[in-house]
Formats: sequence, C-alpha cells, structure tokens
Amino acid sequence: MMAGYHALVKQVLDGERSLADLPLDLRAEAEEAVRLVHAVDRAPVTLPAAVEERVMAAVREHAASPARRAWRWLHAPRDVELRLRIRPWMVWGGALTAAASLAILLTRPTISSSPPETRVASRDTVLVRFVLYAPGARRVAVAGTFNQWDRSAAPLVPAGTSGVWTTTLALRVGQHQYAFVVDGERWVADPGAPAVDDGFGRRNSLMAVTAHGGRVL
Amino acid sequence: MIRLRPVGLALLVMLPVSLVAQDVTARLAGRVSPEVRQAVAKIASDAATRGLPVDPLVEKAIEGAAKGVPADRLIAAVRALEGRLGDASAAVRDAGLTAPDGDVVEGAADALNAGLSASDVRDLVRVSHSPYDPALTLRVAATMAALGVPATQATELVEDAIRAGRSTAELMALPSQVQADIGRGATPEQAAQGLARAAAAGRPAVPPGLEKKGKPANPHRP
Repeated sequence: MMAGYHALVKQVLDGERSLADLPLDLRAEAEEAVRLVHAVDRAPVTLPAAVEERVMAAVREHAASPARRAWRWLHAPRDVELRLRIRPWMVWGGALTAAASLAILLTRPTISSSPPETRVASRDTVLVRFVLYAPGARRVAVAGTFNQWDRSAAPLVPAGTSGVWTTTLALRVGQHQYAFVVDGERWVADPGAPAVDDGFGRRNSLMAVTAHGGRVL
Repeated sequence: MIRLRPVGLALLVMLPVSLVAQDVTARLAGRVSPEVRQAVAKIASDAATRGLPVDPLVEKAIEGAAKGVPADRLIAAVRALEGRLGDASAAVRDAGLTAPDGDVVEGAADALNAGLSASDVRDLVRVSHSPYDPALTLRVAATMAALGVPATQATELVEDAIRAGRSTAELMALPSQVQADIGRGATPEQAAQGLARAAAAGRPAVPPGLEKKGKPANPHRP
C-alpha cells in the first residue's frame, strides 16, 4: 500500500527525487516500491466494439424516453435553497404566542364528561302509543323514520284475542312517517292518521310528536 | 389575497361533494345493495352541489330497501325526491328566503308531495314571518292536505290563522281539529270550512288545554 511508504519514498515514485537523494536506510524501501510500480501493466486498455455498442444503446434508450425523463425530473433530488429572513419582532411575537397558548392550556377549567345532549334528548322524548286492529295477524310491528324503518325493532303486542295490537315507544319531538308491518311483509298505513305517498306506490302515515304528545301535528 | 391555480380551485370545490358521497356511501353500507348505494351517492352529490339537503335522500333509500323495493324503482324514487327538493328550494327562494335551511326545503318538499303547488308554498313562506317558522306552517298545511283538505283551502286556512295572529300552538292544532271533525262525519272540505268560519267569528281554534302562548321549541324535525 502506498500509505505505508515514507514520504521521501513517495517523492521518488512521483519523480520528484532520485534514489541517490535518499538516506541509506530508505533506499531499500524505495527500490522495492519502484520495482512494484514498474511491474504494473501500463498498456492502454481497449474495449471490444460490442461493449461500446451495448453501452451507447442503453444511453440512447434512456435519453429517448420522455416518460423516463419525466420520472427522473420528478424524482431527482435537488438542492433547494431556503432563505428565511426573521425580524426581531417576529421572534418576540412567536414567543409571546407560545406562552399565551401554554397559559390557556394550563389554566382552562376541566370539561365535564357528562354529555349534555343526552339530557336534552331525554327532555325532547315523548311516549307515544301505537294501536292497530289486525285480527288474524301473527305478528305486527311499527317501522318508520324514528327507527330507520327497521321492521323488527318495534313489535306490537296483542291485547288478548281481541285483534288489537299495541306498543308504546319513546319518540323524539318532531314529525315522523311510519307504517305498520303485518306478518313481517305487509306494509299497512295507520288508518287513524293522515298519509302521504311514499314514492314506492304505498302510503306512509304522518305523525307529529310535540311536547303535548303524539298528534296529527 | 390568496392566489389559486384552476386545478386547486376545482379541488376545493370538489372536496365537499366528494365528502358527501363518502358519507352517504358509509351510511348506506349494509342497508342497501351496492348498486343502490352507488346511485344514491351520485344523486346525493348532485343534490349537495345544488345546496339541497341530503338526509331525506338517504332516509328514502333506507326506507325503500327496508320495504323490499326493487333497485331500479328505489333509485327512481330517490331521484324523484331530489327533483322535488329542487322544486321546493326554488319555490322557497322565490318567496324571498335566499338561503333557506334544510328543514324549510324539506318541509316544502313534503308540502309538494302532499298536493300543495309551488304557488301555495311561495304564499305560505311569504306570510311566515317571525315568530312563525315557515317549515312548521308548511307542515301544518301539508298535514291538512294529507287528511284530504283541498290544497288551496289548507293553504288559505294557515294564511288566515297567521294574519289573525294565532299562536303557534293554535296553528299546530288545526290538523287535529280537521281530523276530529272528519271523525264526526264531516268531509275534509267541510271540516276546513268550519274552522275558517270559526276563525272569522273570532272563536278559539284550539281545544282546551292547548292554549299555550308563545313559540314552542321547533317540533318539525325529529
């Protein structure tokens, strides 16, 4: 390794100094170094023509592809110079803002975990009784906007063998559309309520729930 | 001043519409078929672009699926509802409400569905100054129309009640009184005429126990 040679020996290898200029104790090392350097083959390297053709073909392929050029343009890392000029008042302003934010975070009152919406919702909920006379029905339910039209969410209970089915639901104040579902498949509008076209060829019953209870409106 | 490229502006406009479609798709997941879900999301996006309420469209799709309505008919019904919401919105704006909220537009659409004309809707909105909520007055008239009262007569009854300074509670009692008279054997038209005569004579139009003065909490929205 060249790093192991004495500096004077390196000067001999570089042609800056002759062997005769060296001290006697370095001459053997210098002669060995010169011998190794002369042993290296310094003939010019010539590549086969096929290798040159292959390399140039690859270069031309890369240069001719717009997609590759665009991809390289998008992905090639670039040096970006970012100049930021900060004035002293900006530094002070930032520091004051950070301090104020921290003070607000540390001194704000603890938020109660009880959700107020729940209490409001309970005040706005009214019990409404649904009644349908359906003799011979095996099961009856009521479905509407208040239960996402789920035909199994609100079953009615038969009142003995009279054919009268009833249930009581807690509904939110507002206007609702609904229908009874008889035997799980037959949709029946409430005969005791106004009804409108449901858009599917059937009728939906209308009911408004107010603070006074369920009513026509 | 913010300088936006056209692409950025288009993205800003498209973002809320895209969010509406995502929200509708999520709400309908597992409730309707993929075909219906995709179609309703598209209809809802169009509705949101026009400033129309989206919830009624989603609820109508859920209702149709629960009732076992075939997909093509369900989609047609949702599309028809979007059209009705558009007509309702136009009528409400024509009446002077330049930026109506969703409740008013939905109430107007329900009124159109119950048989009121766009002209009836405009007339009701025009007279519904505070403390009368146009969404409520529209629903009162629509409910009477649903009971069988001719639409024009129902509209005039509500307008007369407002001009006479009736309370909101009295206004809301009108459909119940029509229904009670129908139960006693009157036709819907006769029941409405009886109420109009009673109002002209200055008799109370509200049953005992319901004479609450002032405007109660808005009850027209579940």
